[in-house]
Amino acid sequence: MSTQVPKEDERTESVEHEAEDSAEQPEASHGDRRRADRDAKRQSVSGAPAEPEQDAFRLKVFRYDPEVEGKMEPRFDDFSVPREKGMTVLDALIYARDTYDTTLTFRHSCRQAVCGSDALFINGRQRLGCQTQISDLDKPVRVEPLPHQDVVKDLVVDMEHFYDQMHAVEPFFQPDEESPGDLEEYRQSPENREEIKMSTRCIWCGACMSSCNIAAGDNQYLGPAAINKAYRFAMDEREGENMKEHRLNVMDQEHGVWRCQTQFSCTNVCPKDIPLTEHIQELKREAVKQNLKFW
Amino acid sequence: MSQSYNRGLVEDFGRWREFTAGMWAWIFHKFTGWVLVGYLFTHIAVLSTAIAGANGQTVLVGGEQLNVYTATIQGLESLLIVRVMEVGLLAVAVFHILNGVRLLFVDLGLGLESQDKSFYASLIVTGVIVIASIPTFLEGAF
Amino acid sequence: MAERYSSFRSGSTSWLLQRVTAAFLVVVLAFHFFLLHFVQHASEVTFAGTTARMEEWGYLLTMVLFLLTATFHGVNGVYAALLNQGLTGTAKRAVQVVLAIAGLALAGQGTYLALVMSGVM
Repeated sequence: MSTQVPKEDERTESVEHEAEDSAEQPEASHGDRRRADRDAKRQSVSGAPAEPEQDAFRLKVFRYDPEVEGKMEPRFDDFSVPREKGMTVLDALIYARDTYDTTLTFRHSCRQAVCGSDALFINGRQRLGCQTQISDLDKPVRVEPLPHQDVVKDLVVDMEHFYDQMHAVEPFFQPDEESPGDLEEYRQSPENREEIKMSTRCIWCGACMSSCNIAAGDNQYLGPAAINKAYRFAMDEREGENMKEHRLNVMDQEHGVWRCQTQFSCTNVCPKDIPLTEHIQELKREAVKQNLKFW
Repeated sequence: MSQSYNRGLVEDFGRWREFTAGMWAWIFHKFTGWVLVGYLFTHIAVLSTAIAGANGQTVLVGGEQLNVYTATIQGLESLLIVRVMEVGLLAVAVFHILNGVRLLFVDLGLGLESQDKSFYASLIVTGVIVIASIPTFLEGAF
Repeated sequence: MAERYSSFRSGSTSWLLQRVTAAFLVVVLAFHFFLLHFVQHASEVTFAGTTARMEEWGYLLTMVLFLLTATFHGVNGVYAALLNQGLTGTAKRAVQVVLAIAGLALAGQGTYLALVMSGVM
């Protein structure tokens, strides 16, 4: 960055080169810092077209818009983005949008890996934009919309099918019996909570579904996220035996758990580290056990 | 979504460089599976000459009457290409066996954390077994 | 909720059988390769040698089981691979019929062949 950026003192973390040129300044309040940061960026934009920054990296972004003449043929646009310490891919995209092209379209909301709206295909892998540090990536950074989903515009994909699959597994708590008292809680043992803990972390980002080879070929396949959702409830002891049987029956379909071929793609890309393959495998074994019982 | 863009096959095999261990394992397992099932049909077809052989049918090979079954198999085995293909078959079978064992463990939920390492291990062991077997397989083929 | 899905339609039976046959095949296929390439060389196979082996009941039984499990494992594997491609409707039915016929033909021919080799037929 060319301008003197009033910048956060980078604490004591190991010094990384991307921060080298930022002037070290005493700690300011968070809001102040943000505002100053933003103003500084604005300046650098309105000024000379950012004199060739030594410490900038190239961001290649997939562009496509069926409604705009020049963008109907998909292409990649290059943006030069100045490095900043702690910059994420989402930050870089926001920078590119605010600085160069306001039509650059992508979903984002919470910016802290909770809302699940910015799953992207970054350098050949499904990741959350807000969770991926630029410093961890090879340059240039290539950002594309999630594979195996139809692209609506730029980085925005159609998530309808993903949501359909999620809803198909009845992703809500359905106990066999009403809780005894009127406002009585449904109590769960710590062990049981531990068993389903990881599966509750799903943020519906769709990274797993996009990474799955089988889901790509078989549109009816429920996919890792939906099966994980089913696992979360099937393994929850508070729902009761009948409900568990019903849930296993939903899973025990040709396009349910049986299509999983344990490629571990979903497990590899899950931004919340959910052991998806393990959960799917456990449901397969549960389904086999249930069927053997009835013979 | 009528107005959306499907990137098609490029998303799949066009990205082979970005495939992970589990995906390669799956691709190899499918491929070797297809080869093995194809071989199974061929194998039974070739061995079926034994039915004629059992009826006493013979052919003249090098001035000598040989059982048709014996003649067929030895005739095939004398071809270098068949011998080389047998080494290929061994590689395919050994990989399918080793990766199959790996998959059985995965199905039992054992060692899921090292599924990538066990894939590399099955590749290496396949290589070692195949190389060690080449002398036996090609014996007398030249 | 009490409705029962046929377990053959669901895929759980074929999934389980695929694994059970796999466990059996791992051992027998390794044995088969070892016997016919290392103990005996494939190039030295003769009709007399084959019938001598097949006349032993244990060996004959193993080979027939080997054939049947391998046929199931192979044909079912092909079917699963095609299902992954999103096979549905008439195409799926056609594939089922073709694979069933091929599998039965292979198993039939192979069993007949084994019995001929063992001198039973």
